[in-house]
Amino acid sequence: MLRKKIEPYLFLAPALAVLLIVFAYPVFRLLILSFQRPTAGKLHFVGITNYKAILNDDVFLQAVRNNLALLICVPIMVVVALLLAIFLFERIRGWQFYRTTLFLPYLLPIAVVGLIFSYIFQLSGVLNDFLTAIGLSGLALDWLGSTRLALPTLMFVIIWKEVGFGIVLFLARLMSVEEDLFDAAKIDGANWWQLQWHVTVPQLAAVIEFFTIVSIITMLSWVFSYVYVMTGGGPGNSTMVTELFIYLTGFRYNQMNIASAVAVLLLLVTGVFIFLELRLRENSAIVEAVE
Amino acid sequence: MRIVFRSLLALALIGILSTACAPAPATQPPVAQPTSAPQQPQATEAPAQPTAAPAEPVKLVVWWWGEQEAPGAQKWLDETIAAYKTAHPNVEIEAVLQSTDALIPSFQAAAAAKEGPDIQYFWGGVWTLENAWSGAIVPVDDLIPASERDNYINNFEREYSGKLWGVPWYLSGNPMVFNPKLFTQAGLDPKNPPATWEDLKAACTKLTAAGITPISGGLKDGWFGGWLFSILARQTHDSEKEFMDASVGNAKFTDPAFAEWWARIKELKDAGCWNKDINSVDYQQGQDMFVQGKSAMIFGNDTFLKGWSDTIGWDNMDVMMVPTYADKKLAQTYVVTAQGWGITSWSKHPKESADFLMFMHTPDRLNAWFKYTGVLPADKRMDTSLIDQPILKKIYGWDTTVAGPNLENFIPSMLDEQSNFAGTQLLFSGDKTPEELAQMAEDVITKWREQNPDQLANFQAWSQ
Repeated sequence: MLRKKIEPYLFLAPALAVLLIVFAYPVFRLLILSFQRPTAGKLHFVGITNYKAILNDDVFLQAVRNNLALLICVPIMVVVALLLAIFLFERIRGWQFYRTTLFLPYLLPIAVVGLIFSYIFQLSGVLNDFLTAIGLSGLALDWLGSTRLALPTLMFVIIWKEVGFGIVLFLARLMSVEEDLFDAAKIDGANWWQLQWHVTVPQLAAVIEFFTIVSIITMLSWVFSYVYVMTGGGPGNSTMVTELFIYLTGFRYNQMNIASAVAVLLLLVTGVFIFLELRLRENSAIVEAVE
Repeated sequence: MRIVFRSLLALALIGILSTACAPAPATQPPVAQPTSAPQQPQATEAPAQPTAAPAEPVKLVVWWWGEQEAPGAQKWLDETIAAYKTAHPNVEIEAVLQSTDALIPSFQAAAAAKEGPDIQYFWGGVWTLENAWSGAIVPVDDLIPASERDNYINNFEREYSGKLWGVPWYLSGNPMVFNPKLFTQAGLDPKNPPATWEDLKAACTKLTAAGITPISGGLKDGWFGGWLFSILARQTHDSEKEFMDASVGNAKFTDPAFAEWWARIKELKDAGCWNKDINSVDYQQGQDMFVQGKSAMIFGNDTFLKGWSDTIGWDNMDVMMVPTYADKKLAQTYVVTAQGWGITSWSKHPKESADFLMFMHTPDRLNAWFKYTGVLPADKRMDTSLIDQPILKKIYGWDTTVAGPNLENFIPSMLDEQSNFAGTQLLFSGDKTPEELAQMAEDVITKWREQNPDQLANFQAWSQ
């Protein structure tokens, strides 16, 4: 009996050991560092001093505001991905080509995407050259060099790149929906909008939830590469995000403890959404089927 | 039986994992750390001769940067390593070129783990000394004799607490570079380039009228903002100490002498001196515009000159001192810093590392450095008769007669990034006035002092 109780843990032990080494220990160290500060070359416990410092740091607060602003991308991505998935599902002419084309950006490395769009959106870049050539020079703006436009420009690129994942996710689920549901709705006289609203969206609900949460996590803690490559957080911190703030604080300003405090806060916020996503997976056979 | 078998299998897996996670066995026997009075390496006394090689094999890892600003450095370093290997068959040297953005973070990560290079490339001043303060590098006084160190140029950037915390490698200065043909095209005399701020603004007007972008730059990645600070903020000061004093709170960055440079940049902006896309292009793109003939002037770097000459020829460029708007001592100086090396505190081979650094400073290597890069080494022993190009002669003249400090090396990096980098962007985007930017600088340095009592104490000691 005792053997039977111990046996599962023995099998779990190697995986647990790996988890402890690669995940739990770094997080534990991060937490400890966030409550310490160097004095005369040695680290000392300083309570919540680092947390107080960052809450009074205007650049950090700007980064948080920008991360929150990036959340605007989430509903846009969901709606765009949903509409495009529906069009593809309806097998419009050339749908297979469009499906590949729309998913392609998601496969490209972020650094490549960032670099290409950096050139496109320069004041003297391809986009403005084109706008000028077609007589729309009034719309040729300093997309990355203006504090008002840099963040929206960044958001556009993030949406362009990330929406492909949503399309594939939604399309995969749509392809597994019983045809009978659509046929029944059509027989009942549902028009196109009613069909989507009353059949497609409910059938996609679990996948939409999943994509929404993953996208929220992305906007909060997975946009570093976009910002780093395209704007470096500028101009004037107008595109600063928490990840970049952590990087700069830790590695440029040599303030690893303050960077750790920000990382702990980010981990906590992201952790909430990761928890939600895990719960969603547990409760959704549909998502499991799609995965 | 099955249970026993499974249990044994699980234990075996744990064993394998433990083995895999254990530190790798040392490939070399540990070498003692330097004592308070280590024996000087023999190579110092007679650098041209091979030293008495230790019996055991030695591997030195070098993380470096420099090809980016001194093209030809890679070729020189490869050749230097090969020559050193010939003289010291037991020493293996692995040189890893770092990207600009990875240079600092990679070393910070290495320092945190106390694992990584034996020799690390550092910019001067605070970029080196922050690592001395954190214990990541060791002083070289006990490893390199004074007679050798005396030959190095710009040691002052690496001095702290009476010790030298690195070895200068090459000099990097900031002339204003201009295109004589575009000057002539705009009706300007290339033999008499602008000397004062008013001259510069007048030149901008003429160049603009001729359809030529007067000065190009790129602020998107921030670095150029720091350069502008170093090049322009100096003119109302006598010494870099004044900036160190302001950093530790003995003066304010809102004081007129510290704030004026913001207004002067705005004057250039208002006079139409700059490329319009300065905020959306990065530093390198801004410099490239000059090489491509799209602008008449740049606040340049003399380490690039030889590389540019290979592209556009020496005839299409000339250098001038930065026009002045003030008459304090630093206004008349040429910004020069020595890029250099440090020896890490975790290196098992500090003596061998120092020996290799001294080998870099042997006359043959110094002359070869200049030959490959057109950049002056930070050492008095180079054969100056090799400098036969008139523009490089001018640079050498400034380096030896009117050299002044690079201010970016004497302020906290947070001030540089959050004030100079971000501030210049905000000035060109029109979001902040010079007065607001001066206040922003003061706010940033106040925050830095609050957040970094330890660094503040180090800065206070350094500034004294």
